[in-house]
Amino acid sequence: MDPRFIRNFSIIAHIDHGKSTLADRILQTTGTIEERDMVEQVLDSMDIERERGITIKSQAVRILYDAADGNTYHLNLIDTPGHVDFAYEVSRSLAACEGAVLVVDSTQGVQAQTVANASMAMNANLEIIPLLNKIDLPASQPDHVREEIEEGLAIPADEAILASAKTGEGIDDLLEAIVNKIPAPVGDASAPLKGLIFDSYFDAYRGVVALVRIVDGSISKGQEAACMATGTKFLVEEVGVRRPANTPVDELGVGEVGYVITGLKDPSLVKVGDTITLARNGAAEPLPGYREVKPMVFAGFFPIEGDQYPELRDALDKLSLNDAALVYEPENSHALGFGFRVGFLGLLHMEVIKERLEREFDLDLIATAPSVEYKVYLTSGEVLTIHSPKDYPEQSKIEHIEEPYLIASILVPPDFVGAVMDLAQFHRAEISNMQYLSTTTVEMKYEIPLSELIMEFFDKLKSRTKGYASLDYDFLGYKPSELIKLDILLAGKPVDALSFIVHKDKAYARGNTLVRKLKEIIPQQLFEVPIQAAVGSRVLSRVNVKARRKDVLAKCYGGDISRKRKLLEKQKAGKKRMKAIGNVEIPQEAFMAILKVDE
Amino acid sequence: MSAMSRLFSALYLHIPFCVKRCAYCDFATEAVPRGSERIDDFVERMVISIRRAAKAGLLSGLETIYIGGGTPTHIGLSKLSEILYILSLSKDIDASMEVTMEANPESLTEQIVKDARALGVNRLSIGVQSLDDGVLETLGRAHGSKRAIEAIQLATSCLDNVSADVICGVMGQSDESLVSTIEQLVGLGVTHVSVYPLTIEEGTPLCAIIEAGQLPEVDEDAQARHMELAAKTLQAHGFTRYEVASYALPGRESRHNSAYWTGKPYLGLGYGAASMLDSYDLGALLESGALDCWAESIDFEGLQERAAGSHRTRISLARGGLEAEFLSERESACEDAMLGLRMSRGLPESALSRLTDACPELAAAIDEALTKGLAQLNGDGSVSPTAKGWLLGNELYGLVWDCAR
Repeated sequence: MDPRFIRNFSIIAHIDHGKSTLADRILQTTGTIEERDMVEQVLDSMDIERERGITIKSQAVRILYDAADGNTYHLNLIDTPGHVDFAYEVSRSLAACEGAVLVVDSTQGVQAQTVANASMAMNANLEIIPLLNKIDLPASQPDHVREEIEEGLAIPADEAILASAKTGEGIDDLLEAIVNKIPAPVGDASAPLKGLIFDSYFDAYRGVVALVRIVDGSISKGQEAACMATGTKFLVEEVGVRRPANTPVDELGVGEVGYVITGLKDPSLVKVGDTITLARNGAAEPLPGYREVKPMVFAGFFPIEGDQYPELRDALDKLSLNDAALVYEPENSHALGFGFRVGFLGLLHMEVIKERLEREFDLDLIATAPSVEYKVYLTSGEVLTIHSPKDYPEQSKIEHIEEPYLIASILVPPDFVGAVMDLAQFHRAEISNMQYLSTTTVEMKYEIPLSELIMEFFDKLKSRTKGYASLDYDFLGYKPSELIKLDILLAGKPVDALSFIVHKDKAYARGNTLVRKLKEIIPQQLFEVPIQAAVGSRVLSRVNVKARRKDVLAKCYGGDISRKRKLLEKQKAGKKRMKAIGNVEIPQEAFMAILKVDE
Repeated sequence: MSAMSRLFSALYLHIPFCVKRCAYCDFATEAVPRGSERIDDFVERMVISIRRAAKAGLLSGLETIYIGGGTPTHIGLSKLSEILYILSLSKDIDASMEVTMEANPESLTEQIVKDARALGVNRLSIGVQSLDDGVLETLGRAHGSKRAIEAIQLATSCLDNVSADVICGVMGQSDESLVSTIEQLVGLGVTHVSVYPLTIEEGTPLCAIIEAGQLPEVDEDAQARHMELAAKTLQAHGFTRYEVASYALPGRESRHNSAYWTGKPYLGLGYGAASMLDSYDLGALLESGALDCWAESIDFEGLQERAAGSHRTRISLARGGLEAEFLSERESACEDAMLGLRMSRGLPESALSRLTDACPELAAAIDEALTKGLAQLNGDGSVSPTAKGWLLGNELYGLVWDCAR
């Protein structure tokens, strides 16, 4: 294929600005997908993706387009994940492109992820085609949004395409712009093979399938290929393109996007961002930008019924086949028994995984409050990396602790600056920059501990700004912090799964609110249950759940007996959803209560 | 026609009519004006139903009869007499039987008491609930304390066995109010008292009032205190608690209710009534035609098929049709254990060994109840509820019923 007739592009947008609908419309207009096969969000194949309107896995589709200049072009649409949890995957997908369509909702204007995605695309040297979506809506303000794009993003917007992904208006203009504005890929066909792996998935029959963009050289079936970062070698079983069904081709050459079937059975051998080359006479240098994906957020997953542990393990094994970022190791809790400490890219990733485990594998799980990875410097000189409060060493042995910080970018209308500042201060965030992107949008940059961001920071931000604020963040680095471990004791016994690590200035307030919150959540038992928050042996706060004194339905005559039994069964079912810790019955939500203590 | 292997020892007639629905009531009853055609229709069915049961020999083993509701007295003297008369024709009612009728103060007249007595009723159970007008108003009862006192006087002057129902733990009900109600009742000569803590049932007016914030929620601590206070007060007057909610002077325990709690077969007629029998005997009940008056079309074969292999059958009659449940031997044993532990005498040693034979897990459940202080092991080998077991009954019954599954 002559690279002059190839265009590789991606669509980037803030969530809900219409990215998936636009992709659907492009596929439909170009006849890539027959009308009868059309479902909404074609590229989002998981139920959760469709329900939540988010993209989790990358996708690539080859579109044949007969342009106005009389030539037929191969347009490769690379669909990227749409959430900040998956920023690295997004960056690799963008690196496979020469251009990007920046979708901005013309009724809402530039949002935090618009800024973040646009700057990622600019860093990847992509040609950006701004597209103002939803212009069919009465609230559409194309002129104003154009101004925001030019002022806030420094992207010329006078030629921005006015479109409605819903009605199909402007799609032809967009396709022409893709052909005319986005440069054709450039590469050396005679150089050794260099292909960028921008995603991979596991096929039960064919093993690991890599999605690749060929930069130099070419790849074809039967060659022995290698992944440069992992050193994995394999025989290429098949190469092809997705239209969107897998369609084998003889070879993939310069500029082309397609799939490579590796036959490998271990997904961890094929990593996003790695460079694929030939095992013999391979490239000397890999493509830039590869890094190991590291989980940021950790939580314990425990089956409510202990005998579901093997099923949980199998389910995690299965999910991780298609999710290289999902890491887990066995964790044993006194309170919750055997489970796993699972690492995630972020909170959304965690929610998605939990939901899939429960839905697709029919597991009942307790998730403990998420935590981050701390670096604990011991007086002995040793450094521990811990991601569970359970592994927190004795306070006296600790020299100091560092916790991960993010640089968060918050976009809000000026009216809400004060509200954001209050919230940020409460969450130990320090402002590093603030600027007006336009008269209606202020960008506030904060350095914030990740541990604070996962305390439902985004939900609170949304509610305090009436939904106007948008948030994006990037990893900043580790910084020293005065942290301590707070334990929760039920009936005098510490419950490991309720412990958490907290800044010392907040220990008292959080401990105090948490025990009160737990008092609301934990039902009365047959005996009084004291709930205490303690740091080491020092009790910060204590409340008592009074003993249940009465629970009896006194009337029980002939016709009442079966009703009465049903009531007992209902009570039992209620208890089943609880976890017995010692002899105290605790509802599941208690383990997440720590997230709610700031309300 | 097949005969029953174990005869019904108790007969329950449910009269599902009241002058009004009380604010807390979710019972099988409806408010209809006296003289309504619905009552005529109902009584006609009841008469036929009793006759059919008698003809099939289902009534020959009866030891007790209970006419409950609803408010039996609400249907009026002539209708009540009709039912009682048919009963007396169908079964030789002698003084050795316990024949109870429920009554509410607003519709209890001297004439009714006398006629009922003449037709064999020897025990009245009166829905007094409280002698505190404030409490009666909260409950939405149709009577005041004055009328209640008159009704009890009427009853005790004609009959030597009179029971009163009392509700405790009502919002705004003081300890003194409860004690005063009980002491007045004892003073008026009642021989049996049932004390129920108020339960707020979904869908009742009282539930809506509480949800609207016009009345506070039920205070479980106050209910516990009231239950203990009632026990103490009644015991001081010579009453013995023989069941979680039932107190009686010596020899005045309700034999009918005891039948429910000791696994004896009972026959229930009328919308809202339930029957319990050995599954083996279901054919005899169905063949009698006694239930045909209450359900449009009974799937004779379907029921027989479902009953096959089960140990115990319970049939509930409702306006919507007939509901049946079938218990295995194991489930029956657990049900008996649950009901036995509602009574002061608890489970005698002989019953324990029979029940644990049928369901071996019961032994561990009873051990757990002992450990948790919900039950106690007595010198004669029986197991009975403790003070804690009375108040936290659902814990205790739940433990044993769990063994069924």
